[in-house]
Amino acid sequence: MRPPTFWLRRGLLRLRALLDRPAAERELDDEIRFHIEREAEERVRRGASPGDARRDALRAFGGVERHKDDCRDARGVRPLEELAQDLKYGVRALRKNPGFTTVVVLTLALGVGANTAVFSVVNGVLLRPLPYREPEQIVTLWQHNRTSGETRDDVSPANFLDWRERVRSYDGVAMIEPYGLDLLGPDGPESIRTWLVSDGFFSILGTPPQLGRPFRPEEFTAGHDHVVVMSDGMWRRRFGADPGIIGRTITLDQVPWTVIGVMPPEFKFPAGRELWAPRVFTEDDVRQRGPAYFNVIARLKPGLAPGAAQAELSGVAAQLAREYPRTNAHVGATVVPLPEQLLGRVRKALLVLLGAVGFVLLIACANVANLSLARAVQREREFAIRAALGAGRGRVVRQLAAESVLVAALGGAAGVLLAYWGVKGIRAFSPANLPRMDELHLDARVLGFALAASLATALVFGLAPALYAARPNLHEGLRAGTRGATSGLARQALRGALAVGEIALAMVLLVGAGLLARSFASLLQVDRGYRSDHVLAVTVHVWQFAETPAARAGYVRDAVERLAALPGVRAAGMTSSLPLAEAIGAVRAPLTIEGRPAPAPDAVPIAHTTAVTPGYFAALGIALRRGRMLARSDDASAPPVALINETMARRFWPDEDPIGKKIVVPIHYAGKPVSREIVGVVADVRHAGLAEEPRPSVFLAHAQAPTGAITFAVRTAGDPLLALARVRETIRAPMPALPVSSATTLDTLLADSLRERRFHLLLLGTFSLLALALAGVGVYGIMSHATSERTREIGVRMALGARGADVLSLVMRQGGRLALVGVAAGLAGAAALTGLLRGMLYNVTPLDAVTFAGVAALVLVTAALACYVPARRATRVDPLRALRAE
Amino acid sequence: MGRPSADVLQGTLDLLILKALSLEPMHGWGVSQRIGQISRDVLQVNQGSLYPALHRLEERGWIASDWGTSDNNRRAKYYSLTATGRKQLAEETADWERFVLAVQRVLRTV
Repeated sequence: MRPPTFWLRRGLLRLRALLDRPAAERELDDEIRFHIEREAEERVRRGASPGDARRDALRAFGGVERHKDDCRDARGVRPLEELAQDLKYGVRALRKNPGFTTVVVLTLALGVGANTAVFSVVNGVLLRPLPYREPEQIVTLWQHNRTSGETRDDVSPANFLDWRERVRSYDGVAMIEPYGLDLLGPDGPESIRTWLVSDGFFSILGTPPQLGRPFRPEEFTAGHDHVVVMSDGMWRRRFGADPGIIGRTITLDQVPWTVIGVMPPEFKFPAGRELWAPRVFTEDDVRQRGPAYFNVIARLKPGLAPGAAQAELSGVAAQLAREYPRTNAHVGATVVPLPEQLLGRVRKALLVLLGAVGFVLLIACANVANLSLARAVQREREFAIRAALGAGRGRVVRQLAAESVLVAALGGAAGVLLAYWGVKGIRAFSPANLPRMDELHLDARVLGFALAASLATALVFGLAPALYAARPNLHEGLRAGTRGATSGLARQALRGALAVGEIALAMVLLVGAGLLARSFASLLQVDRGYRSDHVLAVTVHVWQFAETPAARAGYVRDAVERLAALPGVRAAGMTSSLPLAEAIGAVRAPLTIEGRPAPAPDAVPIAHTTAVTPGYFAALGIALRRGRMLARSDDASAPPVALINETMARRFWPDEDPIGKKIVVPIHYAGKPVSREIVGVVADVRHAGLAEEPRPSVFLAHAQAPTGAITFAVRTAGDPLLALARVRETIRAPMPALPVSSATTLDTLLADSLRERRFHLLLLGTFSLLALALAGVGVYGIMSHATSERTREIGVRMALGARGADVLSLVMRQGGRLALVGVAAGLAGAAALTGLLRGMLYNVTPLDAVTFAGVAALVLVTAALACYVPARRATRVDPLRALRAE
Repeated sequence: MGRPSADVLQGTLDLLILKALSLEPMHGWGVSQRIGQISRDVLQVNQGSLYPALHRLEERGWIASDWGTSDNNRRAKYYSLTATGRKQLAEETADWERFVLAVQRVLRTV
């Protein structure tokens, strides 16, 4: 083993020899001069004359320059010096041709920049490990609802408790439940979005608080549970990052809570909430096996595969199904690794985008390869001369490689700048469900990617000219160079391949973007069943202010009446579940249709059940199809009634009139299940999103089913947000401490629901247009060079009588052939690849003929334009000059 | 000059330089003098070719260099043996002795 000092000394030596060449040379001079002078002195001492002594000393030394050269060689810096020379020469060559350099650097910057931007998203969202201890050991547990087919359904409290007790494969199982705690702020009470968690939650994730401590087991018992752990964001915003926060008391829901911990900034689990509080289990929870609203996480025991854990949990679910057949007969269990649960959905879309942007880089490479090739042809003579003067073939290739690397480095640097802005743009448009977007930055891995992309680019586009320059027959270069190269069948073939490839790649991207665009358009045109414009939606937490059903019903009735009376308000209503909103009040319940035999267990009718006031349908513009709407008179004292939607009418009463039929809807907030008469059928509403098919739905009168999940919907004449202050005031009038948990417009919710699709469309659209532009420029460049090489031939043809139109068609035919081959290849490629988009499309098949035909036409027109310009130029060739130029 | 001189093989030259430097740090001229002295001028090193050898040995890490002041009060580049160089000298000396022994045996026997 050599000691580290050995390598250090050697490295320094080499570095100095390279970087500080003048100094190294000076030292060599000094050393040799000292030797000769010392030798001469010695000879004088022995009696020689000074002149003789110096001459003899020099002779004894031998050829000074030769020895110096040997010394330099001994230093081992020769290859590095040559590289420095190559680079210096490369800089000079690039500066001599600023047009070429600018175009190439810009093209590469676009390619590398777009790739780096998308990669930084992939890196931030997919590649960076989740900020928890051994995240691959963390799993999420779900109920598998065999009735609805939902494999990742929430878990009911009693099932959770039984799972937790019976499984052995896990180091901890914990539940999570969304909750709201009201903090009294400067603008009145505000609902703080909170997660209730059970014991073990923080130890499963394995992230310690940055301040304070996590919950203790005894804090999950009633009376000790008024403790909270706070997010870093809330701690900074509301408490000025006060380190003395631990142990302090804050008032939530009008009672004191003690702050015991503050989580680090990167801890956002589950996302979007600011507080964590203990969930205390009650007697009710132990019995509640039907309604499912827990999310469950668990940590696998070390070395245990998710498959084994799944098998065990399925076994427990089967036991429960036997023990509680009424609720659990159709409930299985699903184990999903946490990374898959958090990122599985976005992974595919991001990888598609990364692939798309890779295509853009390939097109950019093809363009640059063509330009470099053209330049290599122009420099044929230069290479030949250099070879004739003794430059090895390897040296010429190295020289070209150095130029490629230089250009790629410039392009890469400019690309990183572009990526910096690109990431900002991507972040601005990114959908809310793309996790961890706020943590994006250009880290070392991203910069490494940019570097690798640039170097790979240099390799790809530098290869063609380098191979060309390395052809064996150099003297042909010398000869042909003087005559305006006529050979180059291989060159033409290479160019043709580049053009075909560019067109095909651009085609694939355009088809993808076209499919997304058609999906988006058809989504916007779909009949959603309601009007989203001019609707304000305000959600309140009313439970603790109106604890009895009667109090809730009374509050809602009065509030809706006062809202409807406000100036500028066209209609006002209340719903327990607004379309597109986080549907905490949406209940999917199995219902009984009176007068029918009990259905088979897997054919129980299930409907989305919502409590509303009569004004709700007017506020959202939902049309009545049959029967009557709800009325004010449908109150607690009147016979219970229900409205159903068209899908429900069609599915459950395919051949009958549902009006007058009776159903029983078991809804926990509606008291004892009662029989309700269907009095009307309303239009279908796409509740969960525009792409979701309408589901069977039941609407109950809030007065007869007074839930505490309350969202007021107010249709205004003008800008709904202008009415917000008055609406808020009106809602709070009877109880000024009532917290408003969210206030938004239905248009905003609609736009948010489309954000993900818009994001994909925007990115893929941008990349495909970029690809089309680059391919157009590329085809133009290729045809220009091809045409200019045929100048002589065209001159001869014209001298022999060809007219402008003949020349035009000659060139256009050549370009047209390439374009057609490219389009054919592109169609085949697109057909093979658009299947990847399947999950992102709506109402459009991956092989949509309209899109394919439209894109093919667009590409052909672009290619024709790109060929037309050089073709026109060719018609203006002066035959005399073309022939004389020989 | 004028004396009979052996053409020193390169590998041997390295060995001689290492040996010369094993006693004390020395500048290039000193090394050439020392080799001449010890061999009683039988081994006459071509003075210029000493330098590429010195630079090569330094590059290999067997010797290190430093600027110092010479006996006649001038700036000179002094070379000294490194730990690696000392080990190398021991190995090469052993190799050389085995080689010489073998050649002697052949010469006596035949």
